[in-house]
Amino acid sequence: MTNVLEVTGLTTTFSKNEKAFKVVDNLCLQVKRGESVGIVGESGCGKSVASLSMMRLLSKNGSIAGRIQLNGADLLRYSEKEMQKIRGKEIAMIFQEPMTSLNPVLTIGKQLSEGLEKHEGMNRVQSRQRVLELLTQVGISRANEIYHEYPHRLSGGMRQRVMIAMAIACHPKLLIADEPTTALDVTIQAQILDVMKKIQRELGMSLIMITHDLGVVAETCDRVLVMYAGQVIEAADVRTLLRSPKHPYTVGLIKSTPHNAKGQKRLHSIAGSVPTPDHYPKGCRFAPRCEKVMAVCLEQNPPLLDVDQQSECRCWLYRENRESTAVNG
Amino acid sequence: MKTPLLQVKNLNKKFLTRKGWFQPPSYVHAVHGVNVTVNAGETLGIVGESGCGKSTLGRCILRLIEPTDGEIVFEGQNIRSLQKADMQKLRRDMQMVFQNPFDTLNPKLTIQHILSEPLIAHGIPKRERAAMMEETMEIVGLNKNHLSRYAHEFSGGQRQRIGIARALMLRPKLIIADEPVSALDVSIQSQILNLLQDLQEQFSLTYLFISHDLSVVEHIADRVAVMYLGEVIELAKKEELFQRPMHPYTQSLLSAIPITDPDEKKERIILTGDLPSPSNPPQGCKFHPRCWACMDVCKTEAPPFTETDGRLVACHLYEK
Amino acid sequence: MFWSRQWSVPRLELWEKIMQQKKAKYSFLMMLCIVLLGIIGPWIAPHDPTKTYYEAFMQGPSKDFWLGTDAIGRDILSRMLYGTRVTLTVALLASVMTFVAGTLIGVTCAYLGGIVDNLIMRIMDIMLALPGIVLALAIVAVLGPSQENAMIAIGISSIPAFSILIRGAALSIKQSGYVEASRSIGSSNWWIITRQFIPNISNVLIVYTTMFIGSAILGTSALGFIGLGAQPPTPEWGTMLNEGKNYLREAWWLATFPGLAITAVVFTVYLLGDALRDIFDPKS
Repeated sequence: MTNVLEVTGLTTTFSKNEKAFKVVDNLCLQVKRGESVGIVGESGCGKSVASLSMMRLLSKNGSIAGRIQLNGADLLRYSEKEMQKIRGKEIAMIFQEPMTSLNPVLTIGKQLSEGLEKHEGMNRVQSRQRVLELLTQVGISRANEIYHEYPHRLSGGMRQRVMIAMAIACHPKLLIADEPTTALDVTIQAQILDVMKKIQRELGMSLIMITHDLGVVAETCDRVLVMYAGQVIEAADVRTLLRSPKHPYTVGLIKSTPHNAKGQKRLHSIAGSVPTPDHYPKGCRFAPRCEKVMAVCLEQNPPLLDVDQQSECRCWLYRENRESTAVNG
Repeated sequence: MKTPLLQVKNLNKKFLTRKGWFQPPSYVHAVHGVNVTVNAGETLGIVGESGCGKSTLGRCILRLIEPTDGEIVFEGQNIRSLQKADMQKLRRDMQMVFQNPFDTLNPKLTIQHILSEPLIAHGIPKRERAAMMEETMEIVGLNKNHLSRYAHEFSGGQRQRIGIARALMLRPKLIIADEPVSALDVSIQSQILNLLQDLQEQFSLTYLFISHDLSVVEHIADRVAVMYLGEVIELAKKEELFQRPMHPYTQSLLSAIPITDPDEKKERIILTGDLPSPSNPPQGCKFHPRCWACMDVCKTEAPPFTETDGRLVACHLYEK
Repeated sequence: MFWSRQWSVPRLELWEKIMQQKKAKYSFLMMLCIVLLGIIGPWIAPHDPTKTYYEAFMQGPSKDFWLGTDAIGRDILSRMLYGTRVTLTVALLASVMTFVAGTLIGVTCAYLGGIVDNLIMRIMDIMLALPGIVLALAIVAVLGPSQENAMIAIGISSIPAFSILIRGAALSIKQSGYVEASRSIGSSNWWIITRQFIPNISNVLIVYTTMFIGSAILGTSALGFIGLGAQPPTPEWGTMLNEGKNYLREAWWLATFPGLAITAVVFTVYLLGDALRDIFDPKS
């Protein structure tokens, strides 16, 4: 299968008060056609900035290095104008809080059909027809009524459905969902994830799911990248990652989920807190919080190492592994 | 049988919403006839989705919001009849931990100022304050050198520890924790949950733990009350509730939790529709428009919250 | 005092920010000069402000009298230097009055809400319906014209506008979690108002108070101009302006220099207020 998106060495730097902070550090990512890739991490790990970088939606003080290839074309070479044509049509994005992306003074129908009329050159009647189709597709039963509603009259779940409808209107090849269900209640979250999976299947679309919730990843993704302090620290297919996590951080993260602690009195916890980009430690960025910290961890940041050809893991614990594979191959 | 520390009897809170001066007033019934009992030393979890009235219930118990009617009995005393000054004194025994650690600490005050507030409010002499603050800081896992800093110098988890320290300063009997971990990352969340459990043991605290996150409640609570549109619809021991949920809403709520185990396949009950507006709740059972087991009687008659088979549930399915 | 310690950090930041921004820096330095003149004015004045020089009635600017003399032969420069102190004192004290009363009313109304809020705010609305100067006039008319009464009148007449502005700012603080946390702890209302509200609206307070000092200077001069402020022979800019207006054709310097002084000071204060607002609210 071909890669829809190929990101190599993506590094996003923000400058503030003449200091530069690497918020995303050397991110590599491939997304195949129809595949869902999850990016998991806690707040401040750079997962949202990574997604905004892929859309080239950063504010002025952020700069991007590396390569972002969409169907073989490097997005970083495009001008802002060309990028505008790509957004929505080739890659679409949905956010945690849909209200910020919806115009409060326009009806849902108007907002959805506007894009269709502009991008696809439809006339009024066609676009209306298509909008109603889209709304039905995302599971809105009263599409006709919702068409004439204003965004603030809708519930959070409804708004997120509308956002999804808007995102898929021009058949994008890739959908980036940044914490799409974090602001929603569990029962609504279940509905939205369901709709997203259904639509992805129907359209053969690729998906990048950015979330802090391993449960959401388990439900929706094929492959997962775990990010910590701006770097990918582990990448594997979802089953391998959740069943046999390699990196001590991933292990800790999975163990500290209350659901996985059934019958235990105390939860597993990772001491300390996530470092901010201006205070990254020397060596491995997780070392100060790591239970299995070794001397080398404090000195050198490990590269992404191959572990059993199943996962990649940024941890010195698996150094032996690489050396042995190097000998073999 | 222990004597209950807190009894909430038939508590109601209606918020007046007036669209204009000349329109008739309408009400949002945020808390509707809630009866719960909290025993000393236990943790009662209250779960429900946003808008179900769980936070309002917590604030009504502390009288931060004045309830419309009903009784709140704390250690045998109906606190709704207390004068303002007496209520102020009673706050020493019942404290609150809030959801958003970024919003509940005054950005212009040092931690020392924040922590001394409860001590000053309850007349602790000045010479005792410093020692108490230092002790409490250590108990919640912070350094006493942190006292001179401002809230913005701390991470989310540390701020929540400060919030807990503030609630703990006067060694209360009851702590109402309103979504204390939902603004935190998973790895920090588990630290705070562990801390809350340690404190409970150390100071024999009683918790009313309000959360939307079922797995968190499952971990920390002894008994769980499920709320839907202002009403408690099911109340049971944790093990019973999570192993054999009775109310259809509870069942769907449980089935909706995303699970990290890719091999654990489960029957998903996906509810149709949204939470109805609390200002215009459905007739009969409030859950019936979204319920897959809806019967005719559900549309007209609200089910009573009664005990059936040793379980408290408000659903017509279990009526004999 | 409640603000002594908590405010130390924001104050330091404020100082740095003022020095970073051009507009703020210069307007602040100018303001400093004006205040300094008000303080040391009497010592550097070349003449006695009330002494009549019989040999020099209505003389234009000259080597002896840099800004000329007035209709009864008094030195204008000296009168203006003395007048700086009078005008500034009246304006500052009036602003302090507005600040204290307006802050308390505004914050209390926002915090308590309900009937108290409604009642006080309706009274403020009624007071606001009259232009500030008319209200001040009415107050002076009742109390009698004098420097102190002018101060009281200006102070009172700015309270409604000030308290409504502060109430608006405080309402956003009311929604915050720390106010609720404070209530749940069992703190008294006074404590909540002074510890939770006021430090957090200090930015707004500083900006609005600066702006109100500007209008208080205008008000002081206006009352002086119509003879209801400081009474002769006390030198005061508004009074001097009034005395000079009859001789504009024959002796332009009588009214021009006090007029310029008023304009310059008010301009400086407003500039400073504007700069402070830019510092505190970078969005607008």
